[in-house]
Amino acid sequence: MNIGKQFKEGLLTQNPVLVQMLGLCSTMAITTSIMNGLGMGVSVLIILTASNVVISAIRKIVPDKIRIAMFIVVIAGFVTCVDLLLQAFVPAIAESLGVFIPLIVVNCIILGRAEAFSYKNGIGASFFDGIFQGLGYTAVLFVMCFIRELLGAGTLAGFRIIPEQFPIGILTLPVGGFLVLGCLIAAMQWALSKTKEGK
Amino acid sequence: MSTANKEKVQMDPKYIITLTVTLLVTCVVVAACLGGVNAITQGKIEDINKEKTEIAMKAVVADPDNTTFSDKLTLTDEMIAAAGSVTLDSVYEAQVGGQSAGHAIKVVASGSQGKIEMMVGVDAEGTVTGVSIVKNAETSGIGSKVMTNMPTASGVGVLSQFEGKSAADGTLTVGANVDAISGATVSTRGVTNGVNAALAVAGVLG
Repeated sequence: MNIGKQFKEGLLTQNPVLVQMLGLCSTMAITTSIMNGLGMGVSVLIILTASNVVISAIRKIVPDKIRIAMFIVVIAGFVTCVDLLLQAFVPAIAESLGVFIPLIVVNCIILGRAEAFSYKNGIGASFFDGIFQGLGYTAVLFVMCFIRELLGAGTLAGFRIIPEQFPIGILTLPVGGFLVLGCLIAAMQWALSKTKEGK
Repeated sequence: MSTANKEKVQMDPKYIITLTVTLLVTCVVVAACLGGVNAITQGKIEDINKEKTEIAMKAVVADPDNTTFSDKLTLTDEMIAAAGSVTLDSVYEAQVGGQSAGHAIKVVASGSQGKIEMMVGVDAEGTVTGVSIVKNAETSGIGSKVMTNMPTASGVGVLSQFEGKSAADGTLTVGANVDAISGATVSTRGVTNGVNAALAVAGVLG
């Protein structure tokens, strides 16, 4: 188990969004305000870690042929739990994320990590994989939200930073999501290729 | 030949039973856990929804401090038919000092991103006293502007503009006698349909 390597992979070299290109739909849909981004990021982090641990724990008894069905049942269970808990204890976030919490069930990051990592690795490694991949996802959401909320709506976490007439409204539309995400992916790939050349 | 044909199909009954049982057991365990979580959260979620309904009803009547609300009225077929394509969720009678002062009508209209649950207050004369949104999934930053009553180009809040309208104004239509938030026409239209339905229901109630 190599925690340092996993940490680096989750946040940078194997970042779920910018390198593995997983979970792009939710990344674009909910990154219009920082509170949304953090709520979604933390929800995914919790669900990913929990499902990684459970799937890793049951990997020896799951027949290969029905593993995907089993993964989905486990993931859907955790997602529903988080959805209910959010509705009961943080209704504001549950309301603003709306349908995107239940949709975490089909978020490719979680199924992707189940198939690619926790089905083949031990419980400890899977736990840290969930944490770091979740952090990687949250970090990208945070950056996206920061750019889109600040430049698109002129606010940060609801507080007005730029006067109302100046923000670039298009950034809060889906088009803006594509633009910002495209730029981030390009920047990430450039940075990664730079470090490879340096070695 | 494709690889699917080369792969030998496992038809051993024992193997098939193993698959079924494993999946069944997993589902049962997950369902049990969900039942537990649901038991913890159900009451809280109901309280929150009830409180939200109360706040929404207070927000749409003319005199919130002195108004009390009846329990849900029984919906008649006539009321449901009057709402048309919009789903009629519930109707409460608003009372001031024991006298009927109109109704709070909860309808579910369709917006651009699913359903908009909204409360419409209609006074005894059939005039809209207020509109408030109970639950929605409109796009944050676009449709959400309608939900938070942002002003339209004319300077009046998009939800506030319905106040004072009545069946006498005819069917409310975005572009004709309702102003939309630019970029959020579909959401505005959804809310407008909801108000039209509520007025129709109020007409049936008399």
